[in-house]
Amino acid sequence: MKVNGQTRRREVKDNELLLDLLRERLEVKSVKAACWRGECGLCTVLLNGELVKSCLVLAVEASGGEVVTVEGIGEDGGGGLTAIQRAFMEHGASQCGFCTPAFVLTTHELLRRNPSPTESELTEAVSGLICRCGTYNQIREAVAAVTAHDKRSVSKKLVESTR
Amino acid sequence: MSFGSPYFSLPEFTYHHPNNLEEVLRLLETHGEEAKVMGGGVGLLAFMKERLMSPAHVIDIKGIRELKELKYTSGIGLSIGACVTLAEVARSDAVKQHYTALQEAVSRAADPMIRGRATLVGNLCEAIPWVDSPPALIALGGVVRVNGPRGGREVDLGSFIKGPVDIELQPDELVTHLVLSEGPPSRRSTFQKFSAGSEFSVASVAASVVFGKRREARLVYGGVSSTPVRSLEAEKVVAEGEVSEAMILRASQAASRSVECVSDVLASADYRRHLVQVLTTKALRRVFER
Repeated sequence: MKVNGQTRRREVKDNELLLDLLRERLEVKSVKAACWRGECGLCTVLLNGELVKSCLVLAVEASGGEVVTVEGIGEDGGGGLTAIQRAFMEHGASQCGFCTPAFVLTTHELLRRNPSPTESELTEAVSGLICRCGTYNQIREAVAAVTAHDKRSVSKKLVESTR
Repeated sequence: MSFGSPYFSLPEFTYHHPNNLEEVLRLLETHGEEAKVMGGGVGLLAFMKERLMSPAHVIDIKGIRELKELKYTSGIGLSIGACVTLAEVARSDAVKQHYTALQEAVSRAADPMIRGRATLVGNLCEAIPWVDSPPALIALGGVVRVNGPRGGREVDLGSFIKGPVDIELQPDELVTHLVLSEGPPSRRSTFQKFSAGSEFSVASVAASVVFGKRREARLVYGGVSSTPVRSLEAEKVVAEGEVSEAMILRASQAASRSVECVSDVLASADYRRHLVQVLTTKALRRVFER
């Protein structure tokens, strides 16, 4: 399969989880192992363009597919960081940092599909993720900042709601 | 990796990835009791991690094209293949237009990542009491289409779900589709639930009312006891009463009185009875307002 644009070949066991393959054998450490039962979402990756919780996907199901993690979304010319990553830094949207890769990947994907999400669309998009530190307000501000900077479409409702 | 707790690993099994229906049925005939069918895998893999299930064979049906189809035919109805995800059901215009309760149930189930993997038929076969789609489908008169070595058959959803994790299906059979017939144009339906965020529903109701000379109503409650349950008492009030706030109150009270509720870690039976009344009122107001 392809992981962040690179072809990786491994023989997998039938009962191996995609999470274990990525984290333990392919050393993609942004994919966090926490609840193991699809509740916290910190193992979220893009599999063939769809966000999935990799603790609920078999490695063999990703065979021949394409996986993108937070390591694979950086932009050239931006110090390797995407707009949403810079906004997370500026707004302190990360405390212990454990959930950050999943929130960055998920909000990055949300903004790619919908550049001006409403507050409820944002809440809905991250409803499968848990931040144990409770930085939800800062995450919301970070996303609002990105949509506000995006001149093509400004989500006033979301920006105003964070003031 | 394993930390020594079963949560973190899956028991050993042989993975099968057939690409046609005949192959699935052949595998089920050979391995029967020892096998589990996997659609999205959301429920199955979670069960397996907790060792509630340890099938020697897992049959992944995602490679079968005919099971991926959601098809609406005007005048006939809706057919949803076993591999159609909750997200796909939620996105369907036909579902939105003709099967409102189903659309409302699946579009707010769990979270977007889970909805992108979990299948509607998987929801039904799992038969977990707190899952949202079964009450909606029972209210709309859903039927499952089953295939197996003794041929095909159809089972009404009301009798398909026998108890928690207990369904009317032989080990060598496969549910291929969920079918909903075309309802009368005058039918209105809705789904209402109470849950904490993306958690399981503490209580839910699916209401379906057909308007006409004789009004018909179905009220199905989820999350309150071991299987989705109807309240025939409340349905009678809705079918026979003059439409008014007073009738809605009477029906809601009848539902609260007649629906059996259990106490568990999520809520007490008393609280659930309260929710049944509140949700029934919300649902009936919606149905009668539109």
